[in-house]
Amino acid sequence: MTEVKDHPTTTSDNEGTAAAPSRNRGALWALRKAGTLIIDNRPVLLVILILALGGYMAYMYPVSFPTAENFGAVLLNAAQSGILVIGMMLLMIGGSFDLSIGSTLALSGVVAALIITQGGLPPWLAVIGGILAGVVCGLVNGVIVTKVRINALIATLATAGIIRGVTQLVSGTGVGYIDPEFAKLGQTTFFGLQSPFWIMIALAAVAAVLVARTRFFRQYYFVGSNERAARLSGMRPPRLILISFLIMGGLAGIAGVLSAARLNAAVVTAGTGVELQVITAAVLGGATLKGGEGTILGGVLGVLFIAIVNNALIIMRVDAFWQNIVVGVVLLLAVSLDRWKRSAAT
Amino acid sequence: MVTATAQTTQRDTSRTPRLALRGVGKSFGVVRALNDVSMTLLPGEIKAVVGENGAGKSTMMKMIAGVETPDEGELLIDGVVRHDLTEAGAAALGIAMVHQERSLVGHLSIAENIFAGRQPTRAGLIDRRRMRRDAAAILERLRVTVSPDALVSSISPAEQQMVEIAKALSQELRVLILDEPTAALTVTETQRLFEIVRELRDAGTSILYISHRLAEVFALADSVLVMRDGTRTAERPIADLTESQLMTLMVGRELSFERVRRSVGHGGDADRLTITGLAAPPRVQDATLDVRGGEIVCLSGLIGAGRTELCEAVFGLGRRTAGTIRIDGAEVDIRSPRDAMRLGIGMIPEDRKEAGLFLDMSIELNVAATNLSTVAPGGWLSPRRMRSLAQHYVELLRVRTPDVEQHVDHLSGGNQQKVLLAKWIARRPRLLIIDEPTRGVDVGARTEIYAVIRELAAEGTAVLVVSSDLTEVLALGDRIFVMAEGRITGEIDGDEATEMAILELASPKTRTAEEVGL
Repeated sequence: MTEVKDHPTTTSDNEGTAAAPSRNRGALWALRKAGTLIIDNRPVLLVILILALGGYMAYMYPVSFPTAENFGAVLLNAAQSGILVIGMMLLMIGGSFDLSIGSTLALSGVVAALIITQGGLPPWLAVIGGILAGVVCGLVNGVIVTKVRINALIATLATAGIIRGVTQLVSGTGVGYIDPEFAKLGQTTFFGLQSPFWIMIALAAVAAVLVARTRFFRQYYFVGSNERAARLSGMRPPRLILISFLIMGGLAGIAGVLSAARLNAAVVTAGTGVELQVITAAVLGGATLKGGEGTILGGVLGVLFIAIVNNALIIMRVDAFWQNIVVGVVLLLAVSLDRWKRSAAT
Repeated sequence: MVTATAQTTQRDTSRTPRLALRGVGKSFGVVRALNDVSMTLLPGEIKAVVGENGAGKSTMMKMIAGVETPDEGELLIDGVVRHDLTEAGAAALGIAMVHQERSLVGHLSIAENIFAGRQPTRAGLIDRRRMRRDAAAILERLRVTVSPDALVSSISPAEQQMVEIAKALSQELRVLILDEPTAALTVTETQRLFEIVRELRDAGTSILYISHRLAEVFALADSVLVMRDGTRTAERPIADLTESQLMTLMVGRELSFERVRRSVGHGGDADRLTITGLAAPPRVQDATLDVRGGEIVCLSGLIGAGRTELCEAVFGLGRRTAGTIRIDGAEVDIRSPRDAMRLGIGMIPEDRKEAGLFLDMSIELNVAATNLSTVAPGGWLSPRRMRSLAQHYVELLRVRTPDVEQHVDHLSGGNQQKVLLAKWIARRPRLLIIDEPTRGVDVGARTEIYAVIRELAAEGTAVLVVSSDLTEVLALGDRIFVMAEGRITGEIDGDEATEMAILELASPKTRTAEEVGL
């Protein structure tokens, strides 16, 4: 914010006095450098945005916003998208994406619930079953995209519908009152925060290190940047993309199981529209549809930002229908920011 | 320089210049792309524009075509100052540019591409019959034997280049800008292009012709504009210059591609790569060649002879239907680039932007891409190792860049090619295949790249160079294989080779109906 205010004064100084141009130019250069550093570094930009919005809310709504309960609610809401954005970020770095995550999430929850209520099996098997259901969905997507070679938009748009339909076929309206033991998984609190949040943090931390520092995951950046060059450099793009779909499916499975556990009920409409939130978060976090860019940390911070925006809307008593509108606008703004950055660079 | 311009002017003193630049300047951020450049182009004049990559030629052409606006100076067309010329404005004034980058849409027909955005209409609808007829007439004029209905994606790169030229010819032309038009063309196609350019000149069109190939400049141009580091170093009638004088003006020092006599180095008698009777349809029919350790073997031939496809087959791309590949005498089955790399083979593809580099990534990441096991021992990436590896090769290959964090799309063509070489040399390959090592690379960087290739061979690497540039083949090759229509038609000792001998072997003897039908 400060550099926006300072800019005009520095420029007019430069024009007015020729006496000390070098010092002024130095200051201007430093500001511009700081400006590009912030815009280039998405995590830093997002932390600034989150702090700014949080600060504003705390100032305007000192009673309802800065409370432990409210923070707990924000972080719990962020948990689901946070888990999903890990997989989405990896897919988008590799130049792909998945629109079927909401449906996969619902199916996984239903599968986990049915394993307990219909199969009479213990909760830990339900967890594994639910996650496996997600992995299978990911496998289907991955095979369609890499082997049948249908592009990710069409392929996952189709499977989104198919998977949602299968979920409804299997469970009708859903499964209620699953099992108190199973529900503990999603309802236990540590340090005042519910388990889904901690699971998200753990997954994100591991993924962030893996993506940033391992040879295997680094390959996704090359594949996303130039698939042909990656192939000619000895990488196996189709295999890598397939694996990222499997990971995405598995993560959607985890999110689905956690959601069912948290509510102790599996709803067929679970995860509707979640892809908009997650892709928006990934783009905020530095991902592009073209691929080759983005970080896990950026994606998670993007989710956090959107969660705070949603929370702010609730606290300001804005109609719930506005939430989708706001998230859509944020997505457009994030993409425009990227465009603007690119045109400024050339 | 004033006198030089005056001489050219003598022929048409009465006429105002078709195009003139006066003290034009342009900056991109901190980079000064053009500085105080002036130029005069008369009606019916062919002016060659030469200079190393990054000399400012492209920026200048884009300015004339209305893509860029000058920061300083004036652009005059027919004596009228044109500020804020737009692309549409330039087109309306009869200025057309054939870009180096392809602007064609693959899944549309040739006719549609030629008339992109200007399709003839009748009652508001596209008049397909007329469009086809007009397109066919232009193609006929270029002697391109493809149907105007064929999809652009189904024709060869050379034919695509001709369609690109056809696109420019389809409109009323007063100034035609050709940016490296012959890079993908065969000898005959180049000759045909020259005829057309001369016809256009005689009809009064002014032509700006950018080329790295000096022989073309001397064959075609009336005058030449030499650029260096964003400034004009000379503008003279071509008759006033010799080839070596022109080269000196371009690079600021004497240069030539002398053949360096070298004794074939270590392990020079052992076959590193042996290809026998290899077939990889549709382009490679029956290819047999060998490369020894420490040797530079050049593979020459016309565009479409199957050279690239042969290399791709060795590197595990494309399907091999017959023949054997042996590495160090042992038969190998290479099915993917990964397999090839395990055997110590590297390949530098001809299209460095599409297939070679990660343009939006830094130099260090580009080098790391093929050296992940070096920079990530045990699977964990080491930023320090990544940096030092890139730094080492940037220095060794003299890549001109402030640091290794620079994105490669900000580098000039020559420096990009060096980064591409670094990617593979860092792997210390036993066999390195280089497809067109200096396409679109300026004269200075070319000599440096040749030195690197010789050095590599001297250390024992077997090098297979594919090149369409005869001067390059003659300068580099210890032995030269020539390919035509998917077959190796001959092998010549590098010290005895001549352009004529290579061309003889390269020209197709028979043409199948299928190929003519293309």
